[in-house]
Amino acid sequence: MQSRSGLLFTNRLSVFGLLCASGLVAQDSLLDSRNAVKINIPQDAPVNFVSLTMGPSRATARGAALLLDLHMSLDLRNASPNRVRGVVLRVFAQEAAAGGKASVAVPSLNIGPNDTFPVRIDLQLMRPTQVAAGPVVQVDLDGVLFQDFSFYGPDRLNSHRLLTVWETEAQRDRQHFKRVLAQSGSEGLRREILSSLARQADQPQLDVRVIRRRTVSAAALAPDRMAQFAFVRFPDAPVEPLEGWAEISGGEARAPRIQVQNRSDQTVKYVEMAWLVTDPRGRQYMAASLPASDADLYLPPGKMAQLVQDTELRFSRRGEPVTIEKMTGFVSQVQFASGKVWVPNRQNLENAALLGVLAPSAEEQRLSALYLKRGLTGLTEELKRF
Amino acid sequence: MKHPTQATLALHAGGDLGLVARWRTDRHLGRCEQCREQVAAFLGLREVLADLNETPEISWKRLATEMKANIRLGLAAGECVRAEDKPLRNSLFSGARAAVAVASVLALVVTGLVLEHPGPGPANVDGVVVQSTRDGIQVQEGDRSLQLMHPSKQPVTYSVGAQGSMRARYVDPETGYVTINNVYAE
Repeated sequence: MQSRSGLLFTNRLSVFGLLCASGLVAQDSLLDSRNAVKINIPQDAPVNFVSLTMGPSRATARGAALLLDLHMSLDLRNASPNRVRGVVLRVFAQEAAAGGKASVAVPSLNIGPNDTFPVRIDLQLMRPTQVAAGPVVQVDLDGVLFQDFSFYGPDRLNSHRLLTVWETEAQRDRQHFKRVLAQSGSEGLRREILSSLARQADQPQLDVRVIRRRTVSAAALAPDRMAQFAFVRFPDAPVEPLEGWAEISGGEARAPRIQVQNRSDQTVKYVEMAWLVTDPRGRQYMAASLPASDADLYLPPGKMAQLVQDTELRFSRRGEPVTIEKMTGFVSQVQFASGKVWVPNRQNLENAALLGVLAPSAEEQRLSALYLKRGLTGLTEELKRF
Repeated sequence: MKHPTQATLALHAGGDLGLVARWRTDRHLGRCEQCREQVAAFLGLREVLADLNETPEISWKRLATEMKANIRLGLAAGECVRAEDKPLRNSLFSGARAAVAVASVLALVVTGLVLEHPGPGPANVDGVVVQSTRDGIQVQEGDRSLQLMHPSKQPVTYSVGAQGSMRARYVDPETGYVTINNVYAE
């Protein structure tokens, strides 16, 4: 039997617990989402803002900070006479993280004139409770790419190049599947898409954390060793990698740098290398892409440049650090001064056994998901639409 | 019980699995009603989609609104017909109940401490951190962060830019469009 004082103690504890719980519940409140979001899409833009649908959005107090959950879907209309191939929306929250910015892109579109399409944005912000009034998040149109590769938008996030690259890859992969269909028929296409799905399922993914430090202590960050890049060279690549290094400490890599040379007859304004790492068991992973550090790169024919990034990358898999045994690089993207882009063709990727390591293009991912939903007939019909 | 992935079930519905995978999936389906329903849904979807190809126009938005309204109606109806809770016994603070109450308070206090004083991690890094989380990608500096989330059940492809950016790519289950979320450290 319980004593009176014991019973009183448990009563008090329970009341305290209930108060704590009710306090926590009270800190969780619905957000006035319409005032929290501001959409900035100019009236004269070729893509019009039609409507904003807000999902349940919440503000939750977390100590001295506020956690905001925002769920929205924007309906946009193609107001141009051209077909839209891709769109990028900039998501900007000054109060959330110093210079914190993000974007939501939808490539591989095929939106005709006057047709509407949705773009879904789900975001979570952690910010101090004491902040200036005004919208929590602003959404701008950063760029739209059309079927003829014409572009509209302020392009603050290099959306023009990104959308052009994604559309170039999409054309490459649609062409590939169309060729398979023409040469090997429906069964050949089925085999090809099943092999793509199998690659996607087996593709090893690393967890990567990128750190850009404000202050660096040389002693604390002294590397274990300097590792040299090995390169995969494609015969038709306009830029050739010459040599490259990164500082390695266990599962961390810092300050990667690669020397490249323009061997085309055109001036190059952007180069990006793909960076693969191999663990001690010989498993290869796509680690990161290494772009030129200079935003205004100008690389005339025959000239050399160095791609350097002053960041720290930590690699892990299933919570365990991944030791870097070997590093491999290849040119994955080049943009010329004319605006045209080069990406490796499928033959290049296949010959170098890279298809199993690299993520499929956005278009290949879309087409294989479409096959899962709508079967071979749905896929064949979709390929005919382009 | 470990369930096959959505992709495996979809492939099974389309008759695309190899012999061994089909046998394993069939075996699982034999004892898992949830997955059987999923396969039936995929089969149904394929049939419906074949018919839809001949339908000129469908208001997907209206359809979604109607479905949501029906679900809400169902939930509300369920609340109405739910049996009343059993009355509490007199011995409200018996030993077991008191233990549960104390454990709950402890859990609350520990959770509060963890939330107020996060352990060593990216928040303590003197700089900006870009990383993937359980259901999104995040840029974080100190106690401020911005995270773009993606549907947790969809396969997501992550890619990292060594300059301090991260992308999460997935196929939106509702629209079928590829969506690419990006966060930037610079």
